[in-house]
Amino acid sequence: MNRSSQSQGHKGAPVTAPAPAAPVAALRRRWGAMDISLIAVFAALLAASIAVPGINVGPLGVAITLQTLVVVLCGLVLGVGRGTAAVALYVLLGLVGLPIFSGFRAGPAVLASPSAGYIVGFAFGAALTGLVAIWAVRRRHKAAALFAAAMAGTVVIHAFGIIGFVLKGMALPAAVGADLIYLPGDIIKNVVAVAIALSLHRAFPDLLVRRRR
Amino acid sequence: MNSIVLESAGVEIPPVDGTGTAKTILRPLSVTLNEQRIAVIGANGSGKSTMLRLLNGLVLPSAGTVRVNGLDTRTHGAAVRRSVGFVFTDPLSQLVMPTPLEDVELSLRRLKLSKRERRDRAESILAAYGLSHLAESSVYELSGGERQLTALAAVLAVDPSILVLDEPSTLLDLRNTKLLHERLAGLPQQVVMSTHDLDLAAACERGLVIDDARIAFDGPASAAVDWYRESVG
Amino acid sequence: MRGHAHLVASYIAGNSPFHRMALWRKAVLLLAVAVLCLASPAISVTLGVIITTAVLIAAIAAHGVAGLPWGRLWRAVRIMVVFLVLIAAYQWWQHGPATAWQVVAAIVATVLASNILTATTPVDELLDGLGAVVRPLERFGADPERFSLTVALMLRSIPFVIGAFSDVRDAARARGLERNLMARSLPVVIATVGYARATGEALAARGLGDPELPGEQ
Repeated sequence: MNRSSQSQGHKGAPVTAPAPAAPVAALRRRWGAMDISLIAVFAALLAASIAVPGINVGPLGVAITLQTLVVVLCGLVLGVGRGTAAVALYVLLGLVGLPIFSGFRAGPAVLASPSAGYIVGFAFGAALTGLVAIWAVRRRHKAAALFAAAMAGTVVIHAFGIIGFVLKGMALPAAVGADLIYLPGDIIKNVVAVAIALSLHRAFPDLLVRRRR
Repeated sequence: MNSIVLESAGVEIPPVDGTGTAKTILRPLSVTLNEQRIAVIGANGSGKSTMLRLLNGLVLPSAGTVRVNGLDTRTHGAAVRRSVGFVFTDPLSQLVMPTPLEDVELSLRRLKLSKRERRDRAESILAAYGLSHLAESSVYELSGGERQLTALAAVLAVDPSILVLDEPSTLLDLRNTKLLHERLAGLPQQVVMSTHDLDLAAACERGLVIDDARIAFDGPASAAVDWYRESVG
Repeated sequence: MRGHAHLVASYIAGNSPFHRMALWRKAVLLLAVAVLCLASPAISVTLGVIITTAVLIAAIAAHGVAGLPWGRLWRAVRIMVVFLVLIAAYQWWQHGPATAWQVVAAIVATVLASNILTATTPVDELLDGLGAVVRPLERFGADPERFSLTVALMLRSIPFVIGAFSDVRDAARARGLERNLMARSLPVVIATVGYARATGEALAARGLGDPELPGEQ
């Protein structure tokens, strides 16, 4: 019954791993099953967040969607590498043709539409948020620092959105105006995202700071 | 014969931010598991799941060592996991692919077969477990029992020599529990399982009672069950 | 790389020439539409207007040939109509009506063409196409096997997350908290992370998802 021990020898030892072929690979090689799972499930969370009806908040009853909240959350919870990967995976599958962009839009059409800048900006926003978040979790005023991380990402996303409008032929003032309508909602969402991130860091302390195995 | 050896293996979770005290999940324990059928019983939160996860390196001991057939789980984790199959309480977290056929194929991927061979082999494995009629259905549409049997088939597809099950019947109804037990009884593998089903535990060769992060009783399974019943009062 | 894709598909079944066309041909056509619309005005404004208008008419005709409902065409335009008006106004003011028409027609034509591609191709085929594109990247250090595993995991997780959203919405409503953003989102994210960790652990237990080591078989 000793099927398991033969022939495997010491090959499973991590020390025998070769130098990865490319820097990109070096980053990815370190991701284990848990990282892959978190990336995939957060990408799914993004995809699902456009399928749930908007939540009516405030006296005006403006329905807000959770999408940008989850983008920021990917950075706050997963950090720069995995957070960016999750958002990029979501964007990639949306561009390939899954109707997972807001309004159930799908495919390369989204890049041709005037709001393309936001979609492209998501990945960069999550990256900057993740980068700042790694610094933020070690601060004393963690909540404020995480909020700064979230806002940094939001600024990036809105900047990309405005650039997208302008590239499609809109006047800069009009582009800024069209963009600013969404800013207050995103700030509220960032407050919620930080509160969620703080709860998650408490519930799963090793989430952002990865456990050594 | 398989042998699983735990030498003063204990598990502690270090404090979150470097302050406060570490939390003990499992006190250091030394035990050798050679029997073909071993039951681990005890209350929820006693450390049963952690102990089972030590056996395939999913959890590494913070002190001491765990060896499976001579391989240290710390340095040979991947090799250990190839020889130790693990079945979780909730099969939905274990079934990765949308259909049973694709999930068994996923298990077979590490054997580096051609696509055709892989499909044939997966189909014959499902047939062997009486699951052919479910091969193409969505795992979300299966009953709890069907899911658990599918998870079992996917784990056994790569022919592990040891099978560890973490409360495999907790989410199952009585009929499906019986079905699962019949399947387990016929397996050639060494089986280590935690369970709340004391009848099932009593049918094993050896029983361990885990209580308050340590082994409170170790002996013949029927004696362990009696001891456990008594201790609960 | 298949999955619960049917749960989130914009595919409309049919038997039109576009449904039967190979995916790569459709992709090339789409690329041609984009290039014609973007490059033609660089030659001259008049030529740009003529070509872009022709491409737009062709795209609308193709929509009909593909047998797609006309409501779908309108829906695609409606979503961006505000932006289109803003763009048209600015372009008219800066460069005149011809350029305004060209810019807007180019956007609509590319969006329509891309919609035809996604509406006439089953998601499974799209994902296989993605897999085919990723495969050659293996020599640059990409890992197509783990990539496709991640895609499969994402697809199969979408129903779980949608289910979690609806459970939590019901629970929040039962407690009169349906307008509370926190009560509506925090439990979903906690459940999602728990699910991701259970899945990650199960993957590791099955020896999947961890990077391949040399000499393994």
